[in-house]
Amino acid sequence: MPGDLGRSRLLRASCAVLLAILLATAVAAQQPPANPIDRWNRMSPEERERELAKLPPGRARQIRQRIARYNQMRPEEQKALRDRYDTFSHLPPDKQQIVRDRLREFRRLPQARQPVVHREVVRLRSLPEAQRQASMNGDEFHSQFSPQEQQIIRDLTAYMAN
Amino acid sequence: MNCPIQSRDPEKLVAYAAGALDPESARALEQHLMGCADCRSMVADQAAVWQALNAWEAPPVSPDFDERLYRRIEQGVPFSWWERLTRPFRPMSLRQALPLTASAGVLLVAGLLLYHPDYIAPAARSGEIVRANQVERTLDDLDLLRQFGTADSGESAHPDAR
Repeated sequence: MPGDLGRSRLLRASCAVLLAILLATAVAAQQPPANPIDRWNRMSPEERERELAKLPPGRARQIRQRIARYNQMRPEEQKALRDRYDTFSHLPPDKQQIVRDRLREFRRLPQARQPVVHREVVRLRSLPEAQRQASMNGDEFHSQFSPQEQQIIRDLTAYMAN
Repeated sequence: MNCPIQSRDPEKLVAYAAGALDPESARALEQHLMGCADCRSMVADQAAVWQALNAWEAPPVSPDFDERLYRRIEQGVPFSWWERLTRPFRPMSLRQALPLTASAGVLLVAGLLLYHPDYIAPAARSGEIVRANQVERTLDDLDLLRQFGTADSGESAHPDAR
């Protein structure tokens, strides 16, 4: 019957719309909470300038430049960094401090060692907890990495996303 | 004779229902119809279609319809701007247009949520003040996290991004 056909089409279209709404809601819910830089970007230019005016001009200029650099990052790169910061910001303050300290130590490692340590953190994070511990207690781990590198790897593996 | 449905020759049944089959073939088919319910059913359906078409009367057109139509074509101004604008939407009823419009709207909102969450949350604008010190600390953390994240990609990180 034409009437039934019309009703059936209407019903299907309504279901599709409902599904799309649910999808949009789920997508919106997955958006991580904005970090301070994103929140800063949402402030009006006048509000931003008012805040920066409280700092010495040199520091204010540096902040402007660094924010500009963040805003100019490629979207996928910015998203990866945002996700990493999101994980970091959910750590308790003492753990955040440990991660900061280890990242600073990581930054001071020789250039050639940095990728090696990073790869080890990524590898260990992909392992189940028991295997990870076994690997970090193994002779190979101790022979391949210096005590400082081992500490960096242990802490970053425990607290950081890749 | 072979069954027209089984031998994939339903045109014969259509022609019969339309009275377009020659007398000899029609007689042969009528004999077949006595023993084949599927063909009988199809012929009955076709007959109903023809009956409906015969019963349908086209609404009368004005006597000078053709003359006016050809004059309009010759003038080369077929429709007003409003007619041209609304013509593509005219065959669509409200019932068809509503779910389509709603779906398009939902997709638009989902797209905005995905790529420009700021557009959806204008209330967040200017609502919250982020201190410049907090921004600076976050930039420090982001630099550390970024450098760790890019350590294995060969990309030169900025040890001192300030």
